[in-house]
Amino acid sequence: MHSRRDFLRTGLALGAAACVLPEISSLFAAEPAVPDTPAGKPLLSAVRDGTRSAMLERALADFGGIQAFVKPGHSVLVKPNIGWNTPPERGADTHPELVGHLVALCKAAGANRVAVFDRTCDKWTDCYARSGIADAVKAAGGEMVPGNDEDYYREVELPQGRILKSAKVHRLVLESDVFFNVPVLKNHQGSLLTASMKNLMGIVWDRGFYHRADLHQCIADFLTYKRPDLNILDAYHPMYRNGPRGRTVADVVEKRMLFASRDIVAIDAAGAKVLEYDPAKVRHIALAGEMGLGVMDLARVDIRRHALV
Amino acid sequence: MHKSSSNPRPRRGRSRPAGPVRSLRRLRIVAALAVFLVLTAALADFRELVPVRVGHWLGAVQFVPALMAAVAGLGISAVILGAIVVITLLFGRLYCSVLCPLGVFQDVVARLGRRSARLLRFARPQRLLRNAVLGAAVAAVVAGWGGFALAVVDPYSNYGRVVSGLFRPVASWINNAFTGLANRAGWMGLYRVELPLHGLGALVIPALLLTAVVVLAVLRGRLYCNAICPVGTVLGLLSRRAAFRISIDGDACTKCGSCLRSCKAQCIDLRAGTVDFDRCVACFNCLDACDERGIGYRFEWRRTRASGEAMKDPQRDVPEPAPAGESRRAFFGRLSALAAAGAWVASRARAATVVPPRIGPAGLIPPRGATPESDGVAGIRDIDPARQHAISPPGSHSVHRFLDRCTACHLCVSACPKHVLQPAVFEYGFEGLMKPRMDYTASFCDYDCTKCVDVCPDGALERIPVAAKQLDQLGLAYFDPDKCIVTTKGTDCAACSEHCPTKAVYTTPYGNNLRLPTVNRDLCIGCGACEYACPVQPVKAIEVSGLRTHGRASRDASKEPSPPKPPSEGDFPF
Repeated sequence: MHSRRDFLRTGLALGAAACVLPEISSLFAAEPAVPDTPAGKPLLSAVRDGTRSAMLERALADFGGIQAFVKPGHSVLVKPNIGWNTPPERGADTHPELVGHLVALCKAAGANRVAVFDRTCDKWTDCYARSGIADAVKAAGGEMVPGNDEDYYREVELPQGRILKSAKVHRLVLESDVFFNVPVLKNHQGSLLTASMKNLMGIVWDRGFYHRADLHQCIADFLTYKRPDLNILDAYHPMYRNGPRGRTVADVVEKRMLFASRDIVAIDAAGAKVLEYDPAKVRHIALAGEMGLGVMDLARVDIRRHALV
Repeated sequence: MHKSSSNPRPRRGRSRPAGPVRSLRRLRIVAALAVFLVLTAALADFRELVPVRVGHWLGAVQFVPALMAAVAGLGISAVILGAIVVITLLFGRLYCSVLCPLGVFQDVVARLGRRSARLLRFARPQRLLRNAVLGAAVAAVVAGWGGFALAVVDPYSNYGRVVSGLFRPVASWINNAFTGLANRAGWMGLYRVELPLHGLGALVIPALLLTAVVVLAVLRGRLYCNAICPVGTVLGLLSRRAAFRISIDGDACTKCGSCLRSCKAQCIDLRAGTVDFDRCVACFNCLDACDERGIGYRFEWRRTRASGEAMKDPQRDVPEPAPAGESRRAFFGRLSALAAAGAWVASRARAATVVPPRIGPAGLIPPRGATPESDGVAGIRDIDPARQHAISPPGSHSVHRFLDRCTACHLCVSACPKHVLQPAVFEYGFEGLMKPRMDYTASFCDYDCTKCVDVCPDGALERIPVAAKQLDQLGLAYFDPDKCIVTTKGTDCAACSEHCPTKAVYTTPYGNNLRLPTVNRDLCIGCGACEYACPVQPVKAIEVSGLRTHGRASRDASKEPSPPKPPSEGDFPF
């Protein structure tokens, strides 16, 4: 039996907790203190017409530089797209220059360990080598980690997922202090396009489940478990057709662009525009927007445009 | 020097053979171990550590692969085969002691199991058995079953299957067991690999052979090589009159039996004072064992040609060493069997370039129950691809040619980085037992990889460049929309198209903002990426049906979708 006093006391306590908890949780969260834009809009840095390294640095500057993310002693995970045994000019994998430079920046910021992996479609050793990423990462002081080994994967629950309720996730995702998602922008024969959201399929063991259950919904569902600290989208020469593997260099078009955002939905919406798709037609983008996992409507995004000519 | 007792076990102060003779055995051991270890490493390789060309050449110098490739018209292999024959004619069966990995494996096993090994005495030759095996092999070759028979009897290929099928999984397992430890210690050089396990059916013959060879090696030395192995029989035939032979000097020999104890071929008949050089594998152990120079490795042609009285030759009095009881008739029987086989081989060499028309009109494997004749082009559409998985590897040109030439040494199976090459059980039919096939339930073929054709030692897989391999049509993909997730569940998938390297599998708009796969078979090379990637269970919605005769995929640009727009200048599109 509750008295009025008890009721009020509980109500006040809950109210106070509701006010304080977000503050507390932000203290514990690994997410860096990034200056949010005045209107509370997510920030999207869009850079063009520079080298990949220069565009990366310019984009990072909008977020307070690499130091805003990487503190001395941190362990960092960089997750590029290394899905295919193809050379860099084919644009099927994230470009090694971008990955290598990001690793070098992390090391310069004092990162203890910078690990790079992907659960590849072609044989992982071939992909790591032929993409040029293994060499670039090692030269920058990073470390290539196998993605083919189920022992590295840990079962996690996704209670808020609509279809994807649990998944086996690479343990580096669970253990790293900072998580950079570094996809490449490509057409995709199934999901229309692949960019930041779809790149996260490469940290999950059982991709077959995604394809069987509902590809787009599973891609969106995964974000309820984890969103990267920063997404850096390589759109230097996006693949416009025959994706995601591509056939020849004729499938890519040189655009010399790079985007960065903490909002994984906004950055993929921008990528869709580059590939001349309506973001709302790319169902995983639309679903993620609808589930409140990011902002699909670019009118509600604070876009910082830079041309490095 | 050796008199001053460099020998740790001096035997009653007798003189040891001179240096050059002793070094023969050591030379043999060093050379044999080098070949054996590197070849074993190539066959047991589970993470592409041994360069494929190394494996290729160590396989290419083997007798049966060289014979197969020479018959197929490969000049270098004819030279290798000739060299093996000449060396055997001059020096005896050095091949069996140095090059043959199964032979050296038996030596290693015998040495490790020496404690339990019995003292081997002189034994009568197993003429009936060895001639029967050789005769059966020759008969099979003449009857058109050479591809099967030679694969079963070739010692090198047998060893290859033992290592690839039985030892390689063990090596992988050990690697995996140590990986965790090494990685925790900070050494990232090791990583876990998928255990390369074949179906049990493909391991029966290697397991039986391994058992037999190990038991025989421990109990009876090189009995396998002298009772069963037809390569041993053929080379024995050549070596019995070799220029250099091991023989006993009746004056010096004290009949102490040291040579007997060291002989793994049981071919020294001390009572008669003869050496059956037919069975001698030229290991030279006896030379080292003899303290009295009672047994020697000597040039014999001069002696036998000389009229006789000139030299003080104790062997003159004993029967010629070679026959050891074999009648002249049996000898010529073996010789003529070989000659017949040779004639047949020569006739095939001319026909080798022609692919036999043993296939249906469309070059497709006919559906079960259909005769090739009844399988018209229209019938292609009716093939149930789930039943047709006998797909021969790149560079094999046709299933028929492949089964004819491949000795199933499994170098390619070990070299394949994708594990898509798996030994067949009955997928090719009985005659294709153990021959590698493309298994798209296991994996798919890497578009840019040519390791199998690069490593193949006998030309069963022609060494085609990567550009030709990328057009080599092993099979064709068939898509069943009724099974596809896009139609059955109404959601996007396209895992097949995603993996397709040629974009033979592409998607077209379907229903409400969906994309449904379609196959352009002109572009398809049958690599199996689509089939492997298809998530539909238990029967895939897209499957590759093997081509009996490989085709050539088109690279017709007009069949591609329109090229992307030229780079647009200007600002961001948002």
